[in-house]
Amino acid sequence: MGIVYAIISGKGGVGKTTTTANIGIGIAQEGKKVVLVDFDLGQRNLDLILGLENRVIYDMVHVMDEEAGLKQALIKSKHTDNLFLLAASQTKDKSALVQEKVKKLIETLKEEFDYVILDAPAGIESGFEHTIMYADATIVVVNPEVSSIRDADKAIGIVDAKCERAKENKKVQKYLVINRINPAMVSSGEMLASADILDILSIDLLGKIPEDKGIVEASNTGKPIILNEKSGAGAAYKRICKRLCGENVAFEDVETFNSPSIMGKIKGLFQ
Amino acid sequence: MSFFSLFNKKETSAGVAKDRLRIAISSDRNNTSYPFMAEMKADIIAVVRKYIDAQSVNITKESDGDVDTLGIEIIIPK
Ligand SMILES: Nc1ncnc2c1ncn2[C@@H]1O[C@H](COP(=O)(O)OP(=O)(O)OP(=O)(O)O)[C@@H](O)[C@H]1O
Ligand SMILES: [Mg+2]
Repeated sequence: MGIVYAIISGKGGVGKTTTTANIGIGIAQEGKKVVLVDFDLGQRNLDLILGLENRVIYDMVHVMDEEAGLKQALIKSKHTDNLFLLAASQTKDKSALVQEKVKKLIETLKEEFDYVILDAPAGIESGFEHTIMYADATIVVVNPEVSSIRDADKAIGIVDAKCERAKENKKVQKYLVINRINPAMVSSGEMLASADILDILSIDLLGKIPEDKGIVEASNTGKPIILNEKSGAGAAYKRICKRLCGENVAFEDVETFNSPSIMGKIKGLFQ
Repeated sequence: MSFFSLFNKKETSAGVAKDRLRIAISSDRNNTSYPFMAEMKADIIAVVRKYIDAQSVNITKESDGDVDTLGIEIIIPK
């Protein structure tokens, strides 16, 4: 029986889809069988980030409405074995989701896969609620910025109040991913440090991802950054995946800014 | 205060952000977890006013392990 993770944030645009794609590849590379489900109905994007946009024929709504079988709708990743995508519907919006059908879909996926990872839409409306309802655990993505952190706290509150496990008085584990950290700004006190964010949200840290220009290129080409382990963000995602697979990986310091040497600064003056 | 911070008196914007977030989030948590909070405040004021002249009531929720506690602060004029 697999485990279901919902990737949530409250605020939009903080890196849920990026995180879903990278974690999916990384966990599959660890040898686990993984399915990613895009719950952002009407704004399908996970296929694009994974470079699979040309292969989508059936989506999750087709499967739920039994217009297509699960096997037909699952799209195999080009980057790694063991990874599959179930795309969001592009034409039907979140009103197409029905509680009972979502439940059935997730139960079926749990039987087939070790990890079922759900990419939530922005906001805390009905699409979000469908995503968290049958999750065993959530991964909360934030940016080191006040509105993202406040909205994340709201989203966490809804998970605790509404998801099935919480209603059954079972613990819903919440893990924090702090994304788009700018080390120079943290060092100069212009950006919230991860310790402060953890202190405020009081959930467990899963990983810290630096701001990384390579992520734009990764999206451009449909090759998630984790495929480039030399990149800061790729290495950070790799560590997260090992943690999710039960390995004890030390937290790297991605927040200390290695300022250019004095010579570098002097040179910089003349550039 | 560390030796270094003596020379670094200006509060950083990250520090300001942390303080502001603390307050905003604690107020969000109170309001969302108890939709009846405003009514309850009004009721408490009404009860207290039977005996003393209460000015206002502040209710705060604190979480500590498995239990939540409500702190009720009743402001009375001197
Ligand atoms: N660590 C990072 N460094 C640089 N850019 C990033 C980073 N993480 C995400 N981005 C960029 O931020 C943008 C938003 O990311 P993404 O689509 O993953 O967010 P989202 O939370 O899924 O958004 P939505 O709420 O709209 O679904 C993208 O353009 C992505 O390339
Ligand atoms: Mg997204």
